[in-house]
Amino acid sequence: MSNNPNHKIETPNERQNRHKAMESIHVLNALREDFKSPIESMGYFYDLFERVYCKHEPLHEGKVKIGTMCIQIPSEIIYALDGVPVRLCNGFYTDDEIGGDLMPQKSCPLVRASIGHLSSKNLSDRPHMIYTPTTCDQKTKAGSTIESFGYDVIDVDFPRTKESEASREFFRRSIREFSMDLSSRMGKKLSKKNLKASISKIGYAQSLYHRLAGFRQNKIVPILGNDMFLVTNAFFFDRIDNWIEAVEKLIAELETRVKDEVHVAGKISPRIVYTGSPPIFPNYKIPLIIESSDALIVADETCSSNRMFNDRVAVDEWFINDMIDSLADKYLKACTCPIFTKNDDRIRRIVDLVKTYSADGVIYQAFAGCTVYELEQRSVLEAMEREGIPILYIESDYSPSQQGQLTTRVEAFVESLKNRRRMKKELQNLAKD
Amino acid sequence: MKSKIKNAINNMNLHRTRFWIQLVVFVIFVYGGYFAIDLGSKLPVFACPYNSASAGACYLIPLQHQLSMPTRVLLGGAAISVIVGLLTFLAWFVFLNKAWCGYMCPIGTLQDWFTALRKRTGIRYSTYTRIQFEKLSKIKYIFLAIVLLFPLLMGVGLLGSQWSAAFCQMCPARIISPMLSGDFSQLTIDFSSKTAMVLTAIGIVFAGLFVIGSFVKKRFFCFFCPMSALHYIFSDLSVVQLKKNGSKCTRCGDCYAVCDMQVKDIADDVTSTNIIRDDCILCLKCVAACPEDGVLHFDILKLNAFSSTKEGFEKRMGMEKPYEGQR
Repeated sequence: MSNNPNHKIETPNERQNRHKAMESIHVLNALREDFKSPIESMGYFYDLFERVYCKHEPLHEGKVKIGTMCIQIPSEIIYALDGVPVRLCNGFYTDDEIGGDLMPQKSCPLVRASIGHLSSKNLSDRPHMIYTPTTCDQKTKAGSTIESFGYDVIDVDFPRTKESEASREFFRRSIREFSMDLSSRMGKKLSKKNLKASISKIGYAQSLYHRLAGFRQNKIVPILGNDMFLVTNAFFFDRIDNWIEAVEKLIAELETRVKDEVHVAGKISPRIVYTGSPPIFPNYKIPLIIESSDALIVADETCSSNRMFNDRVAVDEWFINDMIDSLADKYLKACTCPIFTKNDDRIRRIVDLVKTYSADGVIYQAFAGCTVYELEQRSVLEAMEREGIPILYIESDYSPSQQGQLTTRVEAFVESLKNRRRMKKELQNLAKD
Repeated sequence: MKSKIKNAINNMNLHRTRFWIQLVVFVIFVYGGYFAIDLGSKLPVFACPYNSASAGACYLIPLQHQLSMPTRVLLGGAAISVIVGLLTFLAWFVFLNKAWCGYMCPIGTLQDWFTALRKRTGIRYSTYTRIQFEKLSKIKYIFLAIVLLFPLLMGVGLLGSQWSAAFCQMCPARIISPMLSGDFSQLTIDFSSKTAMVLTAIGIVFAGLFVIGSFVKKRFFCFFCPMSALHYIFSDLSVVQLKKNGSKCTRCGDCYAVCDMQVKDIADDVTSTNIIRDDCILCLKCVAACPEDGVLHFDILKLNAFSSTKEGFEKRMGMEKPYEGQR
């Protein structure tokens, strides 16, 4: 025993914070230093994540924070009612370990980490209430577990088929109920004016994302896929006005980089479309391996990035109910979440991304325990084979182990893509001769 | 230069453009008679000659008239006049396809104005459920059958002359169009025969429904219009088409949300390239509301004339930078 009177025993929360800070700074330092030609205006995002996850600074003091468990809760409605949406999907191994005691062994690390985080009650921005859409089994059941920790949890019905007219009607009603519930809790009325304003604002944020994505269609790509994941990930919790301002600056910098022909990867670095279980900070395990193996992520089909921004709301007559219905349609009909019965839309989206972003291959990550992505692997692989698109399927989790094995697999895939490219070129040259 | 013009068109405010086109065309069709404009009697829109100031006549009138000729005459020399009539109708039709409904038809425009009026009063529009839609959608073919078959039955002598122009007697345009030039004489029930009495009474009911219906439901009557059904039969012949590139479509349903006619295929069908359906009025609101580059496009002679773009979408939906100014 130490005789030092200042000796303090670390509380479990302090220990959790310390471990999470270590996980975070590891990834942030890698992003800051391991890649060539860093982007200056990405500094805002690196600092933001450091402030929130290393120093545990709250961002929304004095605001009503609305926790959401998936992307299907319209943030437009939350902003219109003066709330702040905070997405609770979590990427920390530290929290995953805490949650491991509360969930079955073969469950999804993302849900485990989210539950673990909430069970510790150690949140810098603690949500006042949590809305959980009934998406996958694990998220759906997580709601009652989270409720047992003393949070106010409200289920939002979400259908599992999206083709039928009944499901459209069902989800429209569900979102109408959600907005009435939130409005009575917030003591504020949804008006034509405030809802339209927030739809426009989110719409603008989405248009910024689309402009960022536009740069990645170029032959010379000015931004890393990992940086893009960080930017979109910040939208989970950042103050929206700050986020918009930072992205505007980023776009301005990327424009000059395009003029100066700054490429973040090598000339022959294969271009990758990333799909599957969402990489959520600091679980950038697979994306970091990909981009450290001389490949470049040019597009993604995940709910932590593309799916959050891609589809937009159109309204014909700007009445409240029209806006709510359009919002509901966007969050249901355009969604490519694997929980749906059929998911041809997801396959079409991946194929389209490969074509639009002139990608060489697809990397499909599924978290071990994320049943829906594991199940959909088969149909996606078959479809890619039909289309002649090379694809690598990887199963992983939040643990820091397996690095060597995963790196070997990714490197081999990247190498094969490079070979494919070379062969193509040679064939073209032969055809010319 | 070329891309600049293209950009300007793709970014246009479709709502405003359409409003002015409709207004000008409405004045020409409804009051053109005052300026001695005569566009003939084979127009593919409800330009109703019961209105003395009309600049032309709806093709359904001569069509019913021609088909009611005694069968022997119809199959003889009169066949030529039927064919010439149809060809004249098609000559008009091929230029605009169903855009005749969305931009030219005075009765369609009138309904859009009722819609604008309702919007002003802050009342929300109503829609049909899918089941209602599928049932009601067939009514226009029943009307088309009345337009085509009743005159033929008259020709063979199964129906009497009181059935002449049976559809017109029921048509709300016959009652409403003359009112636009101050003539309310059609707002009566014809007691000359039992048939006429029933048909004109139905006409009065339809006219009433037209006014109330188009106030609560966007383009209420178009849904039942036999002209729309007739258009659809020849739609593929037209030089203008509405096309869809399904591979890029995310089925977000934005186009369906703004569709006055509740055409579901516009959002859900990702395999057809030609996306005009029988209820479509080619108003192009779907193209204006599509947030993807080039998924929906309006083609003239296979050349892309108006196409969905991200930029245009953001402009039209007020999602550009000065969103604060919109409040």
